[in-house]
Amino acid sequence: MKKFYFVMALLIVASMVLSACGASAPTAEDCTKEEVFCVGLVTDVGKINDKSFNQSAWEGVQKSNTDGVADVVQFIETADAKDYAKNISQFGDAGYDVIVTVGFGLGEATAAAAATYPAIRFIGVDQFQAATVPGVSGLNFPEDNAGFLVGALAAAMSQSNKIGAVCGTDVVPPVWRFGEGYKAGAAYADGLNGTTTEVFVVYHSDVGFDKTFTDPEWGAQTAKSMMDQGADAIFGCGGLTGNGAVTAAAQAGAYGIGVDTDQYLTLPEAAPRMLSSAMKLITPGVADLVAATKDGSIADGNVFGAAGYAPFHDLDGDVPAEVKTMMEEINAGLLDGSIKTGVSPVKP
Amino acid sequence: MDWKRFGFIALIIIVLFSVVVMVGQAKQPPLLIVTSMLATTIAVATPLTLGALSGVFCERAGVVNIGIEGMMLTAAFFGWLGGIYMFNIFHLPPSVSIGLGVFFAVLTGALMSLLHAMLSITFKVDQIIGGTVINILAVGLTGFLNRQLFFGAGSVFGGSVPSSAGVLPTIHIPITELFSSVCGTSATCLQNVQAINRVFDQKPIAMGAVLLVFLSHYILFNTRWGLRTRAVGEHPKAADTVGINVIKMRYANVIIGGMFAGLAGAYFTIESVPSFEPLLTNGRGFISLAAMIFGNWTPIGAWAASLVFGASQALLINMQIFRDVIPPQWSFLQESYIVGLTPYILTMFILTGIIGKTTPPAADGVPYEK
Repeated sequence: MKKFYFVMALLIVASMVLSACGASAPTAEDCTKEEVFCVGLVTDVGKINDKSFNQSAWEGVQKSNTDGVADVVQFIETADAKDYAKNISQFGDAGYDVIVTVGFGLGEATAAAAATYPAIRFIGVDQFQAATVPGVSGLNFPEDNAGFLVGALAAAMSQSNKIGAVCGTDVVPPVWRFGEGYKAGAAYADGLNGTTTEVFVVYHSDVGFDKTFTDPEWGAQTAKSMMDQGADAIFGCGGLTGNGAVTAAAQAGAYGIGVDTDQYLTLPEAAPRMLSSAMKLITPGVADLVAATKDGSIADGNVFGAAGYAPFHDLDGDVPAEVKTMMEEINAGLLDGSIKTGVSPVKP
Repeated sequence: MDWKRFGFIALIIIVLFSVVVMVGQAKQPPLLIVTSMLATTIAVATPLTLGALSGVFCERAGVVNIGIEGMMLTAAFFGWLGGIYMFNIFHLPPSVSIGLGVFFAVLTGALMSLLHAMLSITFKVDQIIGGTVINILAVGLTGFLNRQLFFGAGSVFGGSVPSSAGVLPTIHIPITELFSSVCGTSATCLQNVQAINRVFDQKPIAMGAVLLVFLSHYILFNTRWGLRTRAVGEHPKAADTVGINVIKMRYANVIIGGMFAGLAGAYFTIESVPSFEPLLTNGRGFISLAAMIFGNWTPIGAWAASLVFGASQALLINMQIFRDVIPPQWSFLQESYIVGLTPYILTMFILTGIIGKTTPPAADGVPYEK
């Protein structure tokens, strides 16, 4: 028996020594050290490979790792909304330098954690701050620019000169900015092309917050009504409600336009008729803020990332070269500020 | 027939439509507006109609069913899931997968209602609580399975939602083709015919729902089965003394009702949009209960009431589409939260008894004790 203990002890010591030798790259245990720069990401309820928000943000964190900004990157998937604070504090207690929290829903938990861990920089994706929260940088996006881009595209591509948008409630400012940006973009394209496009924007404001974004059936019926009036491109802006509208449009052979991320990848039913998507460029936004944290140039409060439009995928052949050029010019104009959408941040 | 009630309902629908036509005629020909609204109305009313029929069968037999919402939601999930399994795992052709999806949805509705029947008839649980249990169970079950099957680590579909087999096709009734010869060379006439055709271009469940309304009416009021159903709902003791098996009749009708709710569920995920989202029924099961009461526990009345809900949603959508041409003094009409109240305000009016009393079956909600 004694011999057995001896062998065991030897093995354990050996494994400890060997593992210590093997680990030349820093691991999560080193995050408490000053020189090791660690970035942790907490997802909203959902998976890291959701082809949407969580995945885009994680790719931004991974980019900071491959760029050599961050030494250790790690994520925690949130299974239930009541675990937000617990998941954030796992990174907080492990001594991470930056914690990225993804989604509006984590706003409160992030602000609370920032008070608990004043040494850590928090990046809240899509967490607009009405009043500046110390320690938190809220990464937001100009939804009106994204809506503007796809509005111009839809107006340029429409055969009937009628286009539609089916959105969640206009009480939520980003939704309002998407919808009104869409109108403004269509008007801008009309100005360039000498056309007159009618734009139908319908908001699902007749129900509460719990239902406005989760009603695909309503979205589908609304899109059909618009197509009855002659619309041949439908922009779905508002979660699952918008998805219903885009899918119905695609099934009827009209153009569907997605929102937030490249929905060609997330809506297989609509993919063949998916013209583009009004995108928030989350990946570069997150990577930039992580880099800004490392060089110390980051500040509290709202930071605005960039908007863009998704590739045309299957419909690339349908889009004329002059429309592609127009889209590139509008995108450049929005980025350098020479084109303004003129959309007020919230519904007046 | 309750003509006062139907007259009132028709009046409401006509008023709702005229408002839109008055506003929208600056932009679109009135006929196109009306037909588009009619098409929307019928489609929107479909799940409400089927849900209300579900309620009519249950309650006519004396079992209160507030679990329609949950039955719809579960059926929507399992119908969709069944279609996806058939299509992606067993590689059946899309049309077969879709058909089986509808079958699974109806079967799910039947099983959920069997649970409700056991709780309320055999175990004599309070029927409101039994229905609530079904609603809560449905939310948990579909939410959990949706996450485990599609998004869980090592799930069947590997963390992503596979493409579904699609949706039921639109049944094209060739009105345009038949009547275009009447028009000759007149372009406006042809346009009108096409506009009218739009109303009839519906999908199978939407069309089936209308047929089922009349079939249910016939069954309930013109057959022996219907008479027995109503008897066990009005006075089960009397029915029992003449040799009707009350328990069996109640079971059968609750399950038939569940199958209607299952078909309503299939409407969401197999007919309207080929995807499942948690909570996608969004309270329509409860609205269909209101429609059932509004229609005084009759199939045709419930259908008419469902059409009112459908018409007010069509109004809501079209008011926003025509937002630019709404006259300033009517601008409140584009505030969707005001227009959206229409069906609920109407329901309250109806329940106050202005247009005639609504009378539930006498033994509705009372378990039968021998």
